[in-house]
Amino acid sequence: MVAAIPIATLILFIGIMLSGDFLKRPLTQKDNIPQMIQSISDNVLMEQWDEAENGTKELETAWKAIVHRVQFSSERDEINNFGTCLARLKGTMKTHDKNSAIMELSEALDHWNNLGR
Amino acid sequence: MNEGLVVLVRSIIGFFTLLIFTRIIGKEQLSQLTFFDYVLGITIGSIAGTLTTDLSSRAWPHWVGLLAWSALGYLMELITLKWHYAAKMLEGEPVIVIMKGKIMEKVLKKAKYRASDILALLRNQGVFDPNQVEYAIIEPNGQLSILKKPEFQPVTPKDMNIQVQDSGISTELVYDGILIEENLRQLNKDKDWLMNELRQHGVYSLSEVFLVALNSEGSLYIDKYEDHLTKVTDIGDFKGPF
Repeated sequence: MVAAIPIATLILFIGIMLSGDFLKRPLTQKDNIPQMIQSISDNVLMEQWDEAENGTKELETAWKAIVHRVQFSSERDEINNFGTCLARLKGTMKTHDKNSAIMELSEALDHWNNLGR
Repeated sequence: MNEGLVVLVRSIIGFFTLLIFTRIIGKEQLSQLTFFDYVLGITIGSIAGTLTTDLSSRAWPHWVGLLAWSALGYLMELITLKWHYAAKMLEGEPVIVIMKGKIMEKVLKKAKYRASDILALLRNQGVFDPNQVEYAIIEPNGQLSILKKPEFQPVTPKDMNIQVQDSGISTELVYDGILIEENLRQLNKDKDWLMNELRQHGVYSLSEVFLVALNSEGSLYIDKYEDHLTKVTDIGDFKGPF
């Protein structure tokens, strides 16, 4: 018991700290971030701006849900940078700026891949 | 991201990790720490602090740093236990700073101690006159061990061929004005007996006393809050702000 409690505590802590990679995996179809980014990219490339804008809103909703799950195991900078990309992406949707939108989506995907690693 | 909540969770992780690691490493008393142990403690504490509040990076690398420093500290402890040569290198060795009553200036300089430090350490040992010291040794943990000159050694009952009784251990009966009834019961005494004894020493309420202890011979040690000392001796050796 004397050894079991500290060992269990340390295992729990390690679990919390390394949970980011696991917790960012999609739990439903509505929080699959890489798939959503891919879908928005396709719509932007085909200049289907209404679909792209709807996709961006869905991406923002999904991101807000996922942040709560991964915040304990991820660095603030990656979280903030993804949020910034999302804000810029919304701007490009309004101006229908294809080049900037693709750049933002690409950067957002990179931040997503680095999140919790 | 709720930064306050994240810091709270990280604080819990840092606090208990530090507690577990220091329990594994730190069997020594604080007074037995070498300078390196002291620095090790500060570094580990600093890493735990960064783990808690530096949200720009993940908690995991800081935790690994904490683990690595603690593991290395533990390893050093094992090495110094098993290998005396390494212990001498890593923890230092005792140095004689006063020999036959003479202060060893070169040794003092090498150990980076001032004469005033040695005088302070002597006072800690109850020696207020360096003339009384035959040998003084700085131990690796920074404490001073002294051997007084034979003429200043206290006379022991054995020297006088006197038979003495075992004085035993004192038991606290009152601490900070509060009666410790459990101890009183163990000694088969009651509050009335205690108050009667205290009245004989001019104490009429428990709130007047800071500490009351009873030794095995049955005599009381009483320390009141009011000490009635009119002049306190100042031992400062250099001029300073206070």
